Amino acid sequence: MDTRIIGLGVPAESVATPAIAAAGLVRSFKDNRALDDVSIRVMPGEIHALLGPNGAGKTTLLKILSGLAAPDEGDIQVLGQAGHRLMTRDARAVVGLIPSGDRSFYLRLSGLENLMFFARLYGMPKRQAASRSWDVLRAVDLEAAAKRQVGVYSHGMQKRLSVARALLMDPPIMLVDEATHDLDPEASRTVRSLVVTARDHGAAVVWATQRLDEIRGFADRVTLLHEGRVRFEGTVPELMAVTVPRRYLVHVRGRAPLHVAARALTGIASLTGSEETEEQFLLVLEDGAGLGEAIVALVGAGLELVACREERSEIESAFLFLVRGTS
Amino acid sequence: MSAVHIRRVGRVTTVRAEIRKLAAFLRRDLLVALSYRMSFVSDWIAMVVQVVVFNFVGRIVRPDAIPSFGGSRATYMEFVAVGIAVSSFMAIGLGRVNTAIRQEQVQGTLESLLLTPTALTTIQLGSVVYDIVYVPIRTSIFLVLTSLVFGTSYHWSGLPLVMVVLLPFIPFVWGLGVLAAAWTLTFKRGTGVIGLFATALALGSGTYFPTDVLPGWAESIFRYSPVTIALDACRRALLGGAGFVDILGDVLRLIPFAAVTLTAGVIAFRMALDRERRRGSLGLY
Repeated sequence: MDTRIIGLGVPAESVATPAIAAAGLVRSFKDNRALDDVSIRVMPGEIHALLGPNGAGKTTLLKILSGLAAPDEGDIQVLGQAGHRLMTRDARAVVGLIPSGDRSFYLRLSGLENLMFFARLYGMPKRQAASRSWDVLRAVDLEAAAKRQVGVYSHGMQKRLSVARALLMDPPIMLVDEATHDLDPEASRTVRSLVVTARDHGAAVVWATQRLDEIRGFADRVTLLHEGRVRFEGTVPELMAVTVPRRYLVHVRGRAPLHVAARALTGIASLTGSEETEEQFLLVLEDGAGLGEAIVALVGAGLELVACREERSEIESAFLFLVRGTS
Repeated sequence: MSAVHIRRVGRVTTVRAEIRKLAAFLRRDLLVALSYRMSFVSDWIAMVVQVVVFNFVGRIVRPDAIPSFGGSRATYMEFVAVGIAVSSFMAIGLGRVNTAIRQEQVQGTLESLLLTPTALTTIQLGSVVYDIVYVPIRTSIFLVLTSLVFGTSYHWSGLPLVMVVLLPFIPFVWGLGVLAAAWTLTFKRGTGVIGLFATALALGSGTYFPTDVLPGWAESIFRYSPVTIALDACRRALLGGAGFVDILGDVLRLIPFAAVTLTAGVIAFRMALDRERRRGSLGLY
């Protein structure tokens, strides 16, 4: 599948200078083309979700944007700085990267000492490094564990420490790789709210994730990557509009006679479920049929409809449509 | 948000800022060393054991097998103590830079370091700054210990001259170390080869025994080794009471070696880093 859908909405800021502008990025690892003609634009004050399944090329793209890896082809501009200058000292000060793995700290040092060390490498004098480290530790709710060795931190705590490190310099660009990948809901919310605050202060955030549920109400724009190619670029509502939901879970009161309902839905939808034990059925609309039509038919057949909801979220449907080519 | 631009700072400010960062590296490695208390203590125990072992070895070495320095014949203990002291600086350059970069790679902190606005040289130097401070202290204690316990005698006035010899010697071994680090960054392995090279250099250059006991061909090769030159100069200063003029020739002979290895090391490391960035394998080990 080689679908590339560009969102119709043109962001108002498109006339302004993007914090990140990459065009035509190509990157191969031996025979594997990790990125194939990938373009992305992220404005200041925007959370740009980089969505895609494992191996889609998200981490490779973040590494290229941070200057840790070089593209084979393509152009990158970060705050107006050309890609080949991303590894210069001055350029590195503007990017905060939250890597996907745990291993980016000195495990024998405390969280506070780790942050102070990195703060000083960012050029802060010792006293300022200490006070800023405490500030960000408080922000990520690690104040109590500040003096404990990072080696005894849980995965979630290390991830929050990564966020704290990225926040040390209030960077105008934040690159976040699977930050909430295996965090509990509370920790995920904390991390997201920190990123939202950074966005509200004007940071351009690229948020790589494969968790579809977290981009709604969070990301301003989405780029969906699959097998190294951009399959979609636009806003979250535009992503959701890519597919029309066709699969619904229907909950009826009492034991529903499946054959009666199925007969009433002939030509509109198919219905599957267990007549003996289930009160819920999976309703799949036929092409051209609408949900309202199906509900009218079910009610007309004498069924009491308690609830009806999409089997998958709109985002999940769109994701699967774009990735697998099926709705 | 108002337009954010990448700020460029002046060269002097940058150099000053980079020097300040070395203190952060020093603190980091001191804390790490202290967190491994047993390893810290065992290092000192190892030093004491080493002194005792060489004292016993010294008892079976014929005094006339040791060359004389400034007209007076040194004991084996004196001879080897200076050898060990100088070669400990070689170990920092050759072993530590490489090991430190490898360690950063393995524990996953190399990428985090490279993402900070820190010069590559600062990262390389920072990764061994603790050793640069610690090893001279350890070496001085080592020499004092041999002097107090085994009655070795040094011309302490030669100590500043040893520093002068170390001025070109440390950049020489540093260059070799950075070359080794470039090798490790590229091939991920190779500490064994580097260790072998360092041992061969230490043995052949006369750390533990005079070079004239080597086979003729080996002696003629190692005679020109910068390590041999540095060791000989340090021994003449500490054991023979040589003056500045006596060691000046050795210092001048060391400078080209330092220039070559340092330049080659810096270029090789940059190339290795660029290669890893192109391949996207900076964090792999």
